Amino acid sequence: MTFDPLTLSVVAAAGAVAATGAPEAVTSATASGAAHTGLALVLDKVEYFIMVPMVYLALSFCLIAIVVRIVSIARAPAPPYSLRLYPAAKQPGLAALADTLTLPQVRRHKPLFWVFLMLFHISFLFLILGHLDILPQISLLPETSRHMLGAGAVGLGVTLPLVYFLFRRFRTPIREITVPADYLLLVLLLFLCLLGDMMSWGNSWAANGFVMTKQNFAQYFNGLVRFTFADPRRVLHGSHYHFVVLHVLLANIFFLVLPFSKVAHAFFALPTNLLRRR
Amino acid sequence: MDKQRQKELERLFKTKLHAAMRLYLETCTHCGLCVEACHVYQSMPETRYSAVGRAEIIRKIFLKYFKLEGKIAPWLGEVIELDDIALDRIYDAAYSCTGCRRCMAYCPFGIDTQMIMSIAKLLLVGADKAPELLTMLADMSIAKGQDVESSQAAFADAVADIEPEVEALWPTPPGRRTIPVGVANADVLYVGLSGKDSIIPAAAILNAAGVNWTLSSFEAVNFGAFLGDPDRTQKIAARIVAEAKRLQVKEVAVVECGTAYRVLKQQIGRQPFAVVAFVELIARYLREGKIKLKQSVAEKLTYHDPCQVGRNGGIYEDPRFVISQLAADFVEATPNRELNWCCGGGGGLVAMGEHEFRMKSARVKADQIKATGAEMICTICENCYSQLADLNEYYGLGIKVESLANLAAHALQR
Repeated sequence: MTFDPLTLSVVAAAGAVAATGAPEAVTSATASGAAHTGLALVLDKVEYFIMVPMVYLALSFCLIAIVVRIVSIARAPAPPYSLRLYPAAKQPGLAALADTLTLPQVRRHKPLFWVFLMLFHISFLFLILGHLDILPQISLLPETSRHMLGAGAVGLGVTLPLVYFLFRRFRTPIREITVPADYLLLVLLLFLCLLGDMMSWGNSWAANGFVMTKQNFAQYFNGLVRFTFADPRRVLHGSHYHFVVLHVLLANIFFLVLPFSKVAHAFFALPTNLLRRR
Repeated sequence: MDKQRQKELERLFKTKLHAAMRLYLETCTHCGLCVEACHVYQSMPETRYSAVGRAEIIRKIFLKYFKLEGKIAPWLGEVIELDDIALDRIYDAAYSCTGCRRCMAYCPFGIDTQMIMSIAKLLLVGADKAPELLTMLADMSIAKGQDVESSQAAFADAVADIEPEVEALWPTPPGRRTIPVGVANADVLYVGLSGKDSIIPAAAILNAAGVNWTLSSFEAVNFGAFLGDPDRTQKIAARIVAEAKRLQVKEVAVVECGTAYRVLKQQIGRQPFAVVAFVELIARYLREGKIKLKQSVAEKLTYHDPCQVGRNGGIYEDPRFVISQLAADFVEATPNRELNWCCGGGGGLVAMGEHEFRMKSARVKADQIKATGAEMICTICENCYSQLADLNEYYGLGIKVESLANLAAHALQR
């Protein structure tokens, strides 16, 4: 199946008008789409693929692969005997949850690492909320706000720890236990977040914003959740669009590798901690 | 290594892939928190002597043979081929790990490196590269279980020989046997070790408590567990289980042996009898007033929490209660309980000899003991006792090493 951005853009533009009442988006989209030929047209198509179909593919793949991985573990035989560590917790479930969410082992033995881990994970949660907030259907901040959730601080909250996580891998003994996948995952996340920072900081901290506003991103997100297959170029203007595409590309790659990466600990931390506590 | 052997090892590996193992193999983020948890790494700082360093060998083999990403992009996870070189590394990992699970208390996910090392040990068994001495000892234990009748006469003689030493500690009332053997419906089946030192103090304490007990024909130590062979482990444990069922005892009391206690307490499934560590009985008899101890230890005393009884068995307070009854000057080692340093003799290392490695890898333990300023250290695991005695000599600690049951037996009073 192939998608024609120019044809689809008409539908998209109509959708955008209906959803946001922004007729200027239609005008801009038509003009922009008709102007490109040759290499620029190829780039348009590649960018469209990254911004729309690939998002669906990456997310679907990620969800299916995670479910397959979780199911394959859940269906494996139970351990032959208790793997509990003592002293036994009075409430094993709660204790495992506390281990998972507050990382007391890290706090006790590596306090600085713990600070960065907590900052990263809490910020990451806000990052997810921040992206959901862009959706017109979910408004955590007023729709008119040009700020992303946290006004750029959330991005900083994930980026700084990532730099720390990456650089601590260069030191002994962590260096010796690090494999290429660890470096690549951190580099991928770091660049993904830096590009995100560019947008959120730009919109929050610069007088004129990032050219594209939160409302523009809302139109793009709205098209995605409504499966309009609209060309995002019609609602995301300006040369910064390529950075947005790059951000989405890295996000797509992240979703594609997530089920095979160490990020899977997000799903396995609680059951693994339960083994220690139950 | 030929393909057929490789396939056979791959099959053995697969038998260990239960849900917990899968989580342990797939959750590690290489955070490195466990590195400093290991007494071997603390004493000899090489990555291969860290929990993650050991587990990674198994994890990389798992990645190669059982994971899609290991087949598509092996370089990303630096996968390892299951060959003779890998087996050497596996041996190094498996038999430098004492299975103390201290790393588990450091890991933010609670990954059990001992469990991961059980794959390593099973692969070595499958490749005929397991330590010969442990294999021989395990097979001897199994053989004894299969032909118990032939050794009964010699066993009875040996028991009779040590009865005077029990009597010296606590005279047996008239009409009762000093060391009863094969008593049906006994309240307690005491499972000792092959040496008399594990039987004499226990017999004195049990006689002083006036309980209806009987001595097991078998030794508690489970060389199959040290070997990491689930089949041998179960066969060795099954001898005691069968005896306890045959005699219809209420409780099986395990000698001061951490691995034996953990196997019988946690790894034999639900049974019609309870399993207790002998120190639990001493503490119970003290609380019930069945026995009394005098404060017979004049020296400054410290206590070593054996990993398999403490961290992995949950017995922290009973030994301290018993100590409080017989020693006035007690000092805790730091760290203690859950985070106590392993003595360095577990996982079969004491049985295998390995003197130089055991001594060098337990420097941190020797430092810990030295820092207490204690004149005497006691413990409730024969393996730990042997290792602590060796450390005492090697590092010139100038400390007395004692078994808690022995201290209690010598402190018995009417």
